[in-house]
Amino acid sequence: MSLLYDEGQLAIASESRRILEARVTNDALLPLLERSGEFHAPFWETAIEQGWTALALPEIFGGLDLSLVELGLIALQAGRTLSGAPFLTSSFGAAQAILNHGTEGSKDQWLPRLASGDAIGVVAFAEGQNVLGTGTVYRDGMLNGLKPGVSGGLKADVAVVLASHNGEAVLVVADLANVDRKGIYSFDNSRCAADLRFVDSAAAEIARGKTAMEIALHILALQSVVTAHEQTGGAEAMLERARDYANTRRAFGQVIGSFQSVKHRIAEMYALVELARAGALHAATRVGKSDFVKAAAAARIQATEAYDTCARDCTQVHGGIGVTWEAGIHLHVRRARTLAIEQGNMLFWEDVLVDCLEGEMA
Amino acid sequence: MSDLDTFRTNARTWLQSVAPIYGKAAQTTLSYDEKLALGRRYMKARYDAGFSGINWPKDMGGQGLTHIEKVAFETEEMPYGMPTSFFGISLGMPVPVIMKFCEDKAWVKERVLKALQGEEIWCQLFSEPAGGSDLAGLRMKAEQDGNGWKLNGQKLWTSYAQYSDYGVVVVRTDPTAQKHKGLTYFWVDMRAPGVEVRPIKLAGGDSHVNEVFFDDVTIDDSHRMSPVGGGFGVAMTTLMIERYVATDSAGFGPHLDLFVSLAKEAEINGLPAIKDGRIRQQIARNYAMRNGLDAITARAMLMMQAGMEPGPEGSLNKLVSVRSRQKLSELAIDLQGPEGLNFDEHAPVKDNWQTSWINAATGRIAGGADEMLLNTIAEKILGLPQDHRPDKGVPFNEIPA
Repeated sequence: MSLLYDEGQLAIASESRRILEARVTNDALLPLLERSGEFHAPFWETAIEQGWTALALPEIFGGLDLSLVELGLIALQAGRTLSGAPFLTSSFGAAQAILNHGTEGSKDQWLPRLASGDAIGVVAFAEGQNVLGTGTVYRDGMLNGLKPGVSGGLKADVAVVLASHNGEAVLVVADLANVDRKGIYSFDNSRCAADLRFVDSAAAEIARGKTAMEIALHILALQSVVTAHEQTGGAEAMLERARDYANTRRAFGQVIGSFQSVKHRIAEMYALVELARAGALHAATRVGKSDFVKAAAAARIQATEAYDTCARDCTQVHGGIGVTWEAGIHLHVRRARTLAIEQGNMLFWEDVLVDCLEGEMA
Repeated sequence: MSDLDTFRTNARTWLQSVAPIYGKAAQTTLSYDEKLALGRRYMKARYDAGFSGINWPKDMGGQGLTHIEKVAFETEEMPYGMPTSFFGISLGMPVPVIMKFCEDKAWVKERVLKALQGEEIWCQLFSEPAGGSDLAGLRMKAEQDGNGWKLNGQKLWTSYAQYSDYGVVVVRTDPTAQKHKGLTYFWVDMRAPGVEVRPIKLAGGDSHVNEVFFDDVTIDDSHRMSPVGGGFGVAMTTLMIERYVATDSAGFGPHLDLFVSLAKEAEINGLPAIKDGRIRQQIARNYAMRNGLDAITARAMLMMQAGMEPGPEGSLNKLVSVRSRQKLSELAIDLQGPEGLNFDEHAPVKDNWQTSWINAATGRIAGGADEMLLNTIAEKILGLPQDHRPDKGVPFNEIPA
C-alpha cells in the first residue's frame, strides 16, 4: 500500500465527503448532545447504504475487501462533518478480532451481519484507567464483571471483551443480547457509551495469555488508525473554520487574520493537521508489517494533539461567538476529547510507542 | 530494481567507499582551513564519480538527471557528514542562477565546472543590517558609472563570503522607486578592490557568516543579471530555485535514537531515565512529530516520481523540526546533568547535544525565521491576508525610518 492515494481512493474521499456534508449538519447534532442514548440515525444509515460497514471485510462475508487506507479516508470525512455514531470504528475493530481470531462459528454468526450493518460491534477492553483491563472474569464459557464506558456499548449486539481466567488474560466474543447495560450521560452523548455489566453472560474464547494481550493491543491499534483519520478530519474542519472566520471577521479596521497573533495560530494548526494526516496515512499503509503498532501509536499521538489543539484554538480565534451553543464549535471540542479517550488515551499510547522504541534499541 | 533504486545503491556504495577519507571520523582533528581543503578534495572526487550537478544539464557539466535523483543522493549523503557545507549555498543558489540569467555561456560553463569541483565558491549577498526577512528593505546602492556601475554599502550574514571567489548581489539602483522596484541584480568578483569581508563569530563559536563592505567597487554592466529595477524578481527566483532539497526531520540535529540511548544510560531517582514519564512523553511526542514529517517527505518523493507537484506541506519541515531539536537538545543536556557542561564547539551538530543546542537558534533564523515561515504558510497556503505594511506603494526614500 502506498502513501499516494490512487484514483479510486480519491473518489471514495470526495464522494463520502459530498454525501456526509449533505446529510450531517450541526443543527441535527446539537440536540443529541442533551439526550442520552441516541445517535444520529441518518449518519449510520448512510454508512450502511454506502457500504462503509463492509469496507474492510472479505468478500466471502459480504465485505468489499478494501483496506484500512479506504476506511481511513471515510473516517477522515466523517471527522470533518462529525460522525453521528461511533460504530464505524467499533464494528470494524470487533470484526477484525473475529475475522482473524474467532471460531468459524463466530465468523459465520457475526461477520455478515457486521458487514451489512445489521449488527453493531464494540470492543470492551478498558477498566477504569487501565486501557487493557482484565478484571472481568471468564469461567466455564461465562463472563462476570463490569466494562465501564464502552463507546457504542448501548447499541451494540456483540462485543470483543478482554477478561481473565485464573489470572491469565483471555479474549472472548460475547453476544450482548441479554447483557445489562447502563448508558452514560456524557458531554458527547451520541457516542452511546455504556457500562456493560456481565452476569453469567455467554462468551466464546478466542485467545489466551500473552497472545490475548497482543491481539487486544493490535485491535486497539487498528481502531486507533481509523480514529487518527477521524481526528485529522476534525482538526482539518477546525482549521478551515478558523481560517474562514479570520478572513471575514473585522476588528480595528481590518480582518483579524491580518494580526500575526491570529494568523500564526492558524498556521500552527495547519502544521498539526498535515503532520496528523501524514502520520495516519503512513500507519494505514503499515498494516501487517512488524512496525504497525509503532506507526499506529505515533499516528494516534499526533492526531490527538492535532484535534485537541485545533478545536481549542478555533474556539479562541472566534472569540465570544466560539463559545456559544449555536455556533457548534463545541461539537468538535467535545468530540476531540471523546476521541482522545476512545481507543486508549495519550498516556497509554506514549508508553506503547516508547516501549517499541526501547525494544528496537535493546 | 527501478532506475532510482539502482542510482541509490550506486550512490551508497560510492559514499561508503570514500567515507573513511572524507566522512565525520576523518574530520575530528581538522582545523577549519583543513576542513575546507578536505571539502575541495571531496567535491572533486564527487564530481569525478558522477554525483555532482545531478539535475543540471550535461552540457554544463551536470548529470542530466532530475531533482528526484538529486534529493535521493543528498539523503544518502547526509548521514556521512561529508565536508560539503562550504559549497551548499554556492551550488544551491548562485551557480544555478548564473546558469539561468548570465549571457556569456562559455564563461558560465567555466564557472560551473570550477564550482562543481570545489575549486571556486560563490556566495549570496542578500541580507543587510536594514533588510533580512524584509529583503526589499535593503539599502546598499549601485550608481551608474560610465558604462558600468559603482557599488557602495554593506551586506550582512553572508555565509562563506571569506572563502568565496564570486557572489551574486541585490542592490538599490533607484531610491525614488517603490522598495521592490528599485532593485537590480549583479554578480561580483569577491577579490575586486574595495570588497572587504569581515567574519562574524556566532554564539556557538563558529564564524562562517560575514559582513561584506563595498567601497566604490566598480563593475561592468555585463555583470548585471536583471533589468535595471528588476532585481527583486531574480532574487525571488534565486530563493525558489532550490525547492527540492533533502530534508531532515531531526532538524539537522541528532537523531532521536541518540536521545533514546542517552535516556537508557542516564538515571532519574535511581532508575533509568527512559522509565521516567516526563522523558517518555518527550520521546513519544518527538517521535510522532518526526514520523509525520518523514511521511510527508516520503509522499513528496513518490509524488515527484509520479510526475506530480509535491504538496505545500513540505514547507513545514524546517519550522517544525528545528525548534523541536532545540528543545530536545536542552532536555538532553538536562539529562546529562553536570557532565552536560562539557563542550566541544567543533563537535558535529548531528552527534552532539551541546553544539546542536547552541546552534539550533541560528537554524530557526537563517533561511527564513520561524515567524516568516508562519507568515508564508498563512498567506500562501491558507489565503490569510498580508500583515499591515505601511511601506507599501511608497517611494523607498520616503519610507519613514
